[in-house]
Amino acid sequence: MNRSEGFVRMRTLQAVVLLIFAMILGRLAYIQLIDTRYVEMARGNVLRFEVQYPPRGEVYDRNGEYLVQSRECYDLMVIYHDMDRGGFDTARLCAIAGISRQKLDRELANARAYPRAPRLVANYVSKEEKLRFDECNFRGFYTVSRTVRHYPRQVGGNLLGYVGEVTQDMLKRYTSYKAGDYVGISGVESAYEPELRGKKGVKVLERDTHGAIKGSYMNGYYDSLPVPGSTLVSTIDARLQLLGEELMRGKVGAAVAIEPSTGEILMMVSSPTYDPDELVGRERGNHYMQMLYNKRQPLFNRAVKAKYPPGSTFKLVQGLIGMQEGVLRPSDRHVCNMGYQAGRLKMKCHAHASPLDLRYAVSTSCNAYFCYVFRDILENPKYESVKEGFDVWREYVESFGFGRKLGSDFLDEGNGYVPDRAYYDKQYRKSWNALTVLSLSIGQDALGCTPLQLANLAAIVANRGYYYIPHIVKRIEGRDSIDARFYERHYTKVDPKHFEPIVEGMWRSVNVDGTSRMARLDGWDVCGKTGTAQNPRGRDHSTFLSFAPKDNPKIAISVYVENGGFGATSALPIASLLEEYYLTDTIRRPALLEYVKNMQIYYPAYDR
Amino acid sequence: MTANRHNTIFDGVDFGTVLLYVLIVIAGWLSITSASYDDTAADIFSFSHFYMKQLVWIGAAWVVAVVVLLLDVRYYHMLAYPAYFLGLAMLLAALAFGHEVNGAKAWFEFGSFRVQPVEFAKIATALALARVMSNYNFSINRPGDLFKVGLVICTPLLIIILQNDTGSGIVLASFLFVLYREGLNKWLCIPVLFIAALFIFSFLLSPMTLLVSLILVCTLSEAMMNGRWRSRVIYLAVLSLASILLCIVAQLIAPGSLDLYHSLLIVTLVSLLFVAAYAFRTHLTNIFITLGLFVGSLVFLPTTDYIFNSILKEHQQNRILSFLGVINDPQGIDYNVNQSKIAIGSGGFWGKGFLQGTQIKYGFVPERHTDFIFCTVGEEWGFVGATVVLTLLCLLILRLMRMGERQEEPFGRIYCYSVASILLFHVLVNVGMAIGLMPVMGIPLPFMSYGGSSLIAFTILLFIAVRLDASTRQFTLNKF
Repeated sequence: MNRSEGFVRMRTLQAVVLLIFAMILGRLAYIQLIDTRYVEMARGNVLRFEVQYPPRGEVYDRNGEYLVQSRECYDLMVIYHDMDRGGFDTARLCAIAGISRQKLDRELANARAYPRAPRLVANYVSKEEKLRFDECNFRGFYTVSRTVRHYPRQVGGNLLGYVGEVTQDMLKRYTSYKAGDYVGISGVESAYEPELRGKKGVKVLERDTHGAIKGSYMNGYYDSLPVPGSTLVSTIDARLQLLGEELMRGKVGAAVAIEPSTGEILMMVSSPTYDPDELVGRERGNHYMQMLYNKRQPLFNRAVKAKYPPGSTFKLVQGLIGMQEGVLRPSDRHVCNMGYQAGRLKMKCHAHASPLDLRYAVSTSCNAYFCYVFRDILENPKYESVKEGFDVWREYVESFGFGRKLGSDFLDEGNGYVPDRAYYDKQYRKSWNALTVLSLSIGQDALGCTPLQLANLAAIVANRGYYYIPHIVKRIEGRDSIDARFYERHYTKVDPKHFEPIVEGMWRSVNVDGTSRMARLDGWDVCGKTGTAQNPRGRDHSTFLSFAPKDNPKIAISVYVENGGFGATSALPIASLLEEYYLTDTIRRPALLEYVKNMQIYYPAYDR
Repeated sequence: MTANRHNTIFDGVDFGTVLLYVLIVIAGWLSITSASYDDTAADIFSFSHFYMKQLVWIGAAWVVAVVVLLLDVRYYHMLAYPAYFLGLAMLLAALAFGHEVNGAKAWFEFGSFRVQPVEFAKIATALALARVMSNYNFSINRPGDLFKVGLVICTPLLIIILQNDTGSGIVLASFLFVLYREGLNKWLCIPVLFIAALFIFSFLLSPMTLLVSLILVCTLSEAMMNGRWRSRVIYLAVLSLASILLCIVAQLIAPGSLDLYHSLLIVTLVSLLFVAAYAFRTHLTNIFITLGLFVGSLVFLPTTDYIFNSILKEHQQNRILSFLGVINDPQGIDYNVNQSKIAIGSGGFWGKGFLQGTQIKYGFVPERHTDFIFCTVGEEWGFVGATVVLTLLCLLILRLMRMGERQEEPFGRIYCYSVASILLFHVLVNVGMAIGLMPVMGIPLPFMSYGGSSLIAFTILLFIAVRLDASTRQFTLNKF
């Protein structure tokens, strides 16, 4: 081998060496400078984000009484590595923490996989249990503070809603939630979730490969304190709510009371209801499943979701539309001969004086009178056809808040239903007229109203033509006002001047010669309208609309009792007692109270 | 030049190399400190810490370096063979009575301190190789001489593989680097590398593909050496035609008895006789080398499956499979490499700073002070620090090559190149596995990984080269 060849080979080998180092450097540059995944993974390895849970906001009623409190509770944690090697009194720990031996063994077996990492053993440990736990010295075990809901009055299950662990679905939609967070699921809890929730704090800690905490990351530079949720003041009157729930016990239905001058919901009962405390704590899941399979559906908030035929209470709307359309003057008299007859069609009515004017027709709830009014509205010569008249009628009805969401602060508010032209075109193959849909005149047929919409109707009449959107929250801590939409007057398409005869009729119904005389309260000028909605599947539904006093009304109320019979049988006494209690703070009719409380209605449809 | 200066041991010593060595050792010690520092420990100067122990080893290594420099060059020449046989004896002793660590029976244990004879066997092999190849009349491309070289390299390799310390064994394969420098025909180097690659991938390829690649590689390299392309192409064509014909005929006689693979195998083996006869007649001796390579590969190839499944331990199989991407299991088998990449990757450009590396400090990287020491460099000193360390190592290797080039005697040159090749291989494999370029092999990063026997062995390895070089320079200097 000659010298020059050796030189070439040396150069080649130098090139090989440089190439190898260049390759290593290139790879290093790639993983250190270009690929940022490793930085993330390193953080994931070392950093432990310890969440600091904020206490959820509390809720007061309109008189400053607690509706919802946040109560201290603790999670019992264990670090397996720190546990007493010589064993400890497991029976005692189980007794104190209120868990079974099997559960403890299971959790300890799980904790063993990561001996230095904290692991949850039991949640919802009460304060008393925690104090007893602190007295004994269980090495390796400790408690972490969290909060749970507590309901001092035990009212308003569906109204206040409940809190549960965040679902997979929500986790996907809202990135601000993490698995294990609690979130309001229904009622006020979900409607005001952003306010009640508060802000989680975080402690960033460093841990080693065994999961043992090594201290604060960057001396707490990235740590933050939890911000407690805002306090809410609800429009609910807790005492009225309690009475409402007591009165509705044993019946299925709903009762809603609104303050007409503000649209504030004073009471909202959906019956059957449940004790909100049952949906808190360790037994929550069991109770929830019980309720879910309860045939009377206590978890269904009838007050805002159920679609009930309004029955005779709807006659108020018919009268108002008739007057606005100019087809009805309050003094117009119609004949009622135990009903309304048109050809073969007959709408029955009860015995009362005839002929009668609008005020008396409202008072005594004459079916025939409103059949005339309804026909006059639809067959108004102003419009080319009955169907056009029907469209006009429907627009009026919608302006009263029917057939659509009112826009209250309840997220799961129902629409109700007001049939439209297309519905009947489909139903009757396009051949229908005023007589075909005549039962709409007395609030039957396909009409569906939520109890909230009916209470709102009472408020509209009480206000003589306008309403504020019903709402459940009065004040939010740290804010000057609630949402602007709740301060806005919504007028119906009926001129306020037409309301007086209707109000007059409702007043007469209670105080002079109508169907609602039982609702009379001396000195309070109660106005009311009963309703008896025919129910093809059983006994009639009983409903009652009322407000009081007649001038400057303080309360508007609607009560709906499924299968309650006549309006005056069950709904009226309930509404009347509630009004009495709200207006006078006492109940002077103990017999009526007893009667209502003891009234048990049989529900073959639910309890089959 | 005054006479008294000739007596100092540092006369003619290449201080550039020594400086690089010292810098690398310091970088290694800092990394070990980071990897084993425990800020909660009461006494940070206690000798129970790895970094304090390593400080002692560094001191010992420097003493050894001085001793190595004190010995006269002639001794190394003289001691090459005895050292080699002593090394083999130590390896065999370890195989027989050694202590098993991580499945490799390759350690002697003296109390709390362990020695891996393979570290010293490397030095002995380098010396022996230098001695064999520096013999007068040695010609690397002569089959007989090449056989001797192969014997010197393969004997310790075999013992080390039997010890189940495959990683360290493969280091000896790096001597190919030296053989190339010493004039081994490059058309022999390339097929050797290629066949080595075939061995690694053999369990991923079908036998047919393997056989065809083997035939092609050998024929082509032979053709590159001897020319005469036409006859080689004809040979390949005849081979394929004959095997296809044989296959068809066999199918006609007894269907299913002989598939294409076996017919090709038979035809090839028969043709080897003709090739041998041809080589003998044309006096093309290097055909015999290719022939030996081919037959050897053919014998060993079917055994790779066996080696892979029976001889390699499960964790070794998994390392290879995970490197090849057959397995992807970041929590289990890939854990080491994955965590090592996370540590290095999270260092970024400037790194996290001395003692600030979280992945290292909190123990996410296993073996962080020994085999994965480079993670500490990557995480705490970032791309900049890693580049500096790699540059130091690269300069050291290039410097060793330059030292080799300026030797008057082939012995010195071959030895210097041997050292350079061993270092290069260690760096490539060790750093490569930390950044996912190489499968995991438990071999240390020279001068940096924690461990006394490794540091002292590498120091001896390097300083013998420095000593050889120093004498050359002394001699050169003395001429003027």
